Amino acid sequence: MPINLPGEGAPPTRLRDGRERRLEGLLTHPLLWRAGHAARAPVWPSGFARLDERLPGGGWPRSGLIEVLPSRFGVGELKLLLPLLAALSARPAARWCAWVAPPLVPFTPALAAAGIDLARVLIVHAQGRHGLWAVEQALGSGDCDSVLAWTRHAVPRQIRRLHLAAQRGGTLGVLFRPAAAAREASAAMLRVAVEPIEFGVRVTLIKSRGGVRAPLDLMWDAALLKAEERS
Amino acid sequence: MSARGTRCDRNIPPSSGLGRVVQLPGTHVQGRSVRQRPLPPAAQPRSVPGTGGSTHSAGEASTSPVAPLWVGVHLTETARQPMPQALWRLAIRAQRFTPCVSLEPPDGLLLEVCASLPLFGGVQGVQRALWRECAQLAISAHVAFAPTPLAALAAARCAGVPVVRETSRLIGALAPLPLAALRWPEPLLERLVAIGVRTIGQALRLPRAGFAQRFGTAALADLDRLTGRAPDLREWFSSPARFRCCRELPYESASHAQLTAALTPLLEALGRFLAARQCGVLELECRLWHRHAEPTRCVLRLASPSADAARLAELLGERLRTLTLPEPVRVCELRAGEPVTRALCTAQLWASGEHGGTPEGPGAGLIERLRARLGSEAVQGVAIVSDPRPEAAWRMRAPEELLASTGACGLSAWGPAAGRPGMIPRPGQAWPVARRFTARPFWLLSMPRPLRDGEGLPRYRGALRLVSEPERIETGWWDDRDVERDYYEAVDAYGRRLWLFRERAPPHRWFLQGVFA
Repeated sequence: MPINLPGEGAPPTRLRDGRERRLEGLLTHPLLWRAGHAARAPVWPSGFARLDERLPGGGWPRSGLIEVLPSRFGVGELKLLLPLLAALSARPAARWCAWVAPPLVPFTPALAAAGIDLARVLIVHAQGRHGLWAVEQALGSGDCDSVLAWTRHAVPRQIRRLHLAAQRGGTLGVLFRPAAAAREASAAMLRVAVEPIEFGVRVTLIKSRGGVRAPLDLMWDAALLKAEERS
Repeated sequence: MSARGTRCDRNIPPSSGLGRVVQLPGTHVQGRSVRQRPLPPAAQPRSVPGTGGSTHSAGEASTSPVAPLWVGVHLTETARQPMPQALWRLAIRAQRFTPCVSLEPPDGLLLEVCASLPLFGGVQGVQRALWRECAQLAISAHVAFAPTPLAALAAARCAGVPVVRETSRLIGALAPLPLAALRWPEPLLERLVAIGVRTIGQALRLPRAGFAQRFGTAALADLDRLTGRAPDLREWFSSPARFRCCRELPYESASHAQLTAALTPLLEALGRFLAARQCGVLELECRLWHRHAEPTRCVLRLASPSADAARLAELLGERLRTLTLPEPVRVCELRAGEPVTRALCTAQLWASGEHGGTPEGPGAGLIERLRARLGSEAVQGVAIVSDPRPEAAWRMRAPEELLASTGACGLSAWGPAAGRPGMIPRPGQAWPVARRFTARPFWLLSMPRPLRDGEGLPRYRGALRLVSEPERIETGWWDDRDVERDYYEAVDAYGRRLWLFRERAPPHRWFLQGVFA
């Protein structure tokens, strides 16, 4: 089957430029997979340009399960996801954003100030076995854009089930687990360790299909912070 | 030629066929202004099933172009159920043919089906559909069609009269029927037999004045209604306002599969009940009766009205799974809440957001499934409350509110920098991004947690480092929860940003209230 590559039709002005252009066209073609790059699953931009460069495909996956492993609860793992949650809830055809078993009360003025449409947020109180069941229901229902879940104990078999449910429902599932869980095997497509640094977080991709694994120091807009400190 | 044609058109008298509504037999007319005389019930504006109870006249059969056609159903045998119950069930099912259903206790049912004939494939179609309904209820019955209700009933009782549609043929068809079909009192029938009158035809041939004198005006009025000479006023049947149904299990059981199997026919009946009224149900109670223990109750609340038996069965199944039964179940009972008008929606050609398809919010299915298993309080939405005190600045709200709201959720007047003079933005002005991100924590402790005090500074799993200037919140004088606090941001030993406050009143205790995350 002949494949029409972008840029193929234009005649090369100079041989060298033309080759480069054709090579570039090949490299960006969706049918071409390169070793070291993930399958081009659709993604949502994370809202942090430097993080997007590292993440496979250039953002958080649209459907599937990812794991976020903060060194301690509250080191900045939620702020990492807020731009995405805000963008998802602002779409005209936004679906639910379900928070299953949050450990504390999500403080609504701060969420609204971050741009999250509260009319799309569902809080589900469920513990243990029921919590995992609720996560699976929410992921597989197709009624949710994203499902955030806090769980302590989940065995690999259960995580695999959640991942399949997320793919079935076209939902991004985010599982927040303790950092100790990094040693366990997991079926999640992406596992992200988050550690605090001054004015930001250090993000390490423990497992990713084609992403860059070196740690990335991500600053919460440091310039503005300093300006605020001065004022 | 054309000039003559125009003149002719101009000379048309107003009473001629042109310019009037041409009415074919069996069609609906949606208003009375077209005619002078009152319409027969078949041509009157249809009432929504269930809102009935009004009485219409049905007498102008011979003069009206739309002649009513009545179906008489005579129940002969009802297996497994008493006669009144069977009649009542059949009446509910018969409402799918027409809203004009009338009961003739103990064993008769009347339907006026003239306007419904084209929808069900004519007389034969209605007959077959009625037989099918009877068969499903295990009822054997005779069905007869006639232009007047009494004639249809009498014909059904005698079981053997063919369908009569024309009023002119009515008397001829009724003549050979025995008078017993009219269910007159026994002494009256004996006196008629004594003078040699055994059939309806013989009774109709007697002189009217003498008949009324000897046998009473009530009997004469019956004969007039029978032949359509006098109007027959009937009370329409209306099904009960709420659904309630019991079913005894063939054997005591506590198994989930057997209970759901036993509830399925009840839910199907509920679905038919709601479909006939074009309604849905928001609340459903299932009671499971035991031999000794108190009945187990299981209440299902839906986020949006539903009449879908399969969906209700799924939710109820989830709910039953969470129950612990004290004893095996003997009887299942289903009680539905008040029927709620359900928005009937058509399927869209385009998916939402595609080719200009209207975007729609997410459905209630997930909420209902989660609630069925986890309890109705387990799924909540959140909202902002305009209150300066952090613990009062949020509230839970029912997901129904979310479904109803269009999605716009404005910021409260309480901004992140409230309390700092000169920092409050004007209405409509956005907060700078970094300020929005840093000023309020994303997590709030439902109860502020007291911290240990170490040399004037708070300690929480090690020493805390204060990284912000104090922000004073001093308000709440209008109710009993008056607060006077200085809020600080602090970083703990693990690098987390916490939100602390110190009470202004002695002993100046420190509390942890939020985590920035």
